[in-house]
Amino acid sequence: MAHGAQHVYTVGHEGREVFWNAPYELILFAFTAVALAIFAYGLFRRWQLWKALGKPEDRMDNTGERVKSLIVNGLFQVKTFRDVYPGVMHALIFFGFFVLIWGAAIDATQFHIGLPFFHGPFYLWFSLIMEIFGLAVLLGIVIAMYRRYIEKPDRLGYRGTPDNRADDAIVLVGIGAIIVTGFIIEALRLHVNVNVDGFTWGAWSFVGYGLSKTLTGVGYDTARILHKWMWWIHTFIALGLIAYIPWSRLLHIITSAANQYMISLKPKGYLEPIADFENAESFGVGQLEDFTWKQIFDSDACTRCGRCQDGCPAYLTGKPLSPKKVIQDLKTYWLERAPVVLAAKKAAAEGEDPVIPEPEKMMVGEVIDLHELWACTNCMYCMEHCPVCIEHIPKIIGMRQYKVLMEADFAPELQLTYRNMENNSNPWGIGAHLRQDWAAGVGVKTLAEDSDVEYLFYVGCSGSFDDRGKKVAIALAKILKEAGVRFGVLGAEEGCCGDSAMRGGNEYLYQIMAQTNIEVMNGYGVKKIITMCPHGYNAIKKDYPHFGGNFEVYHHTEILADLIAQGKIRLKQSVQGTFTYHDSCFLGRYNDIYDQPRNALKAVPGLNLVEMSSNHAKSFCCGAGGARMWMEEDIGERINDVRADQAIAANASTIAVGCPFCLTMMADGIKDRGKEETMEALDIAEIIWDAMGLEEATASAEEAPKEAAAE
Amino acid sequence: MNIVACVKQVPDTEALIKVKADGSGIEEGGIKWVMSPYDEFGVEEALKTKEKFGGEVTIVSIGPARTMETVRTALAMGAEKGIHIDDPALYNADAYATASALAAAIKGIPHDIIFCGMRAIDDDSGQVGSILAELLGLPSVTVITKLDIEGSTAKAIKPIEGAQLLIETSLPCVITAQKGLNEPRYASLPGIMKAKKKPVEVKKAADLGLTVEQKSTVAKMSPPPARPPGKIIQGDDPAAKAAEVIRLLREEAKVI
Repeated sequence: MAHGAQHVYTVGHEGREVFWNAPYELILFAFTAVALAIFAYGLFRRWQLWKALGKPEDRMDNTGERVKSLIVNGLFQVKTFRDVYPGVMHALIFFGFFVLIWGAAIDATQFHIGLPFFHGPFYLWFSLIMEIFGLAVLLGIVIAMYRRYIEKPDRLGYRGTPDNRADDAIVLVGIGAIIVTGFIIEALRLHVNVNVDGFTWGAWSFVGYGLSKTLTGVGYDTARILHKWMWWIHTFIALGLIAYIPWSRLLHIITSAANQYMISLKPKGYLEPIADFENAESFGVGQLEDFTWKQIFDSDACTRCGRCQDGCPAYLTGKPLSPKKVIQDLKTYWLERAPVVLAAKKAAAEGEDPVIPEPEKMMVGEVIDLHELWACTNCMYCMEHCPVCIEHIPKIIGMRQYKVLMEADFAPELQLTYRNMENNSNPWGIGAHLRQDWAAGVGVKTLAEDSDVEYLFYVGCSGSFDDRGKKVAIALAKILKEAGVRFGVLGAEEGCCGDSAMRGGNEYLYQIMAQTNIEVMNGYGVKKIITMCPHGYNAIKKDYPHFGGNFEVYHHTEILADLIAQGKIRLKQSVQGTFTYHDSCFLGRYNDIYDQPRNALKAVPGLNLVEMSSNHAKSFCCGAGGARMWMEEDIGERINDVRADQAIAANASTIAVGCPFCLTMMADGIKDRGKEETMEALDIAEIIWDAMGLEEATASAEEAPKEAAAE
Repeated sequence: MNIVACVKQVPDTEALIKVKADGSGIEEGGIKWVMSPYDEFGVEEALKTKEKFGGEVTIVSIGPARTMETVRTALAMGAEKGIHIDDPALYNADAYATASALAAAIKGIPHDIIFCGMRAIDDDSGQVGSILAELLGLPSVTVITKLDIEGSTAKAIKPIEGAQLLIETSLPCVITAQKGLNEPRYASLPGIMKAKKKPVEVKKAADLGLTVEQKSTVAKMSPPPARPPGKIIQGDDPAAKAAEVIRLLREEAKVI
């Protein structure tokens, strides 16, 4: 019998008998055993499915970092809180239940081991805390139900169609019922016990105590019977939900936590390079089994919360892509395929390769529509904000690699871009020998002319070939010269960084580009690099090390902010108008460079800086990343136009950018919205150069020789 | 079906062309070499024809060692094998000598249809396809934008000023490709890798039993006249500036 019965509870010895009035220990054990068996079988079955498909990948190294991620993202729910409303909703349920489970554990410990926890002040505080967290869970459940079934935010569906499933409702009702029955049990117990001599501490359990006051008409015997019923209902629901975990969305308690533990510890935006082109038989991801097991496992950690979809520039402008839908479609496909594969492996004789039936649906093209696949701008919003650390972009790129490298089946305009990169090492296909032309009149030396410099200014294709980008390159070169920075360029020896090829699935072309650049850079003993394009910045910094290119890489906004802070650049010309800064994805989300560009802008006298509705980590992409710069955008609204709308709404007259792709896209957006009379897009380097107030002197000096040449 | 596609390696359209000081040719340093774009249409049509009727595509090209890269590009697109005629006597050869070398090579292999570009973008002669057909005693249909093959008949569409011709001929024949015939494919990576191992025979003119005979030679190559620099009309009076523009357009440019 219950061990707690031997205690006498009086004032000064506050406490209670656990399992009061519910003395069916053996039956409880039996039910618990059944629940745990169902749970264990479900988990075992799932384990088999997780292991059925996919290439190996090590996500168990570096325990310290992984535990840290689990504590930060799992225990403290940091990423979940980034979206306050659903963050608080989930926290109420999560923290509430987390505490209640410890309460139940303490209950059980006292009962089964006989440790007398339920005593004195500990018991009173324990009671109070349990009440508070019980209420928290209930509140969380009510909010969740309201949000899911009445408010119906778009993110809990796809294009206005909610994707509510039966288990969503079962789980919400089940958890709510555990709490409600818990409070009723408490009220009934207090109702019966409240008249016991010396029992004066019932009010600590304020919810149950309050409820008990409504039970005045209920006889004690009736109350005892009701209590017993309630107790068993409560227990059945609780055990039922435990058994239900592996068969429902509750599984995320395990899979999400596991995914947070198995987080990628690589730099943000890291893509595993294809190692062996010569001997590999296939490239990229054409079938489910071409993913790593972890990439497949990701889909089982997804809770359909829709944070990814909520900020996805493709989704929000009416393209078919939703990161959530991609992950969920992969999950559905995996749950169809994995049992087939398992059965085939089981049927295969020892030592023989299993004959796995061909899938009925192609993964790339049918499960994942090609319009979805190619709509992704690689903006990183989904990965940055996924509370369970799902990695969407490497999957997208893997599937693009399959389409490009294996099937050579992709947009004709992108084929042209790649040919241009192959033949002239720039996406526009302008003669490679013209790469240094932008610098005529600026007096920039190539490393071939003078390699005794601190920095290589890697100009990139936009700065070298695009008329708008050239102006940025010129402004930056002038600033660097003025600030006394010793730098040189590669001139015609410079090549395309390859970012668009890599993110557009042409890893082969990308590696050729990268290796060519690295060879030239290493040939000159380059140590430090300044880039004016975040795409080159990210590629050289994070991806070139795979091929022996190890450089210290700086984006020009970092350098500018630093030169201003050191007083090497003096900004004396004040500016008019309202400025807003558009975060480039490859600076912000990829590299956490949010403050430097803003600091540089704030240093300009008179500059009024305002933020757009989406900024910093929640910034809205310009639409040009992930090789989208070179592709037609013919579904839905144009992403850059939607971003321009945000700038217009912020009353900005200038959109300041740090990326030549963004510059083009924002300028086009301003034009599309008919605002070119009152708004402009400028690179921060141009703004800083203007603010240095040296342009007139330089301009006349620069124009003079040109005129002479013309005559 | 035995299909042949003739390709020529030319400087990339964006390459900086510098004429040698002695006018004997162009400076080849720093030039990116590519397959002549019209030849690409020919290769693509050859591959499409093979995919429809089965058979093999053989690539034939003439040029120095670097030409092998262009042959491999065509093999990467999907052709089966190549013949690379590498003979200094044929470098910069005229259309006749080029066509005779191609004819000599093609005579030695089975051929049901032969594709050429309508012209190479370097010397713009536009004669090789027709001379090749003549030397092989085959009909030729030039500058086509659509091709349908039924049995041993080829039906080709040739656009002309203000109309288009539907031309029928019998196989074997020579077809020269115009832009619009197709969209050349992007080579897949397995294609590129396999192309490295596909057979390419390298031959001299003598191996083909050919004595190189030129009907014409380029006497001198010279760069086009430099574009005269633009003029900026100075002054503060818009009316006077406008009058000066009119005067220059009438007297110097002689356009009005």
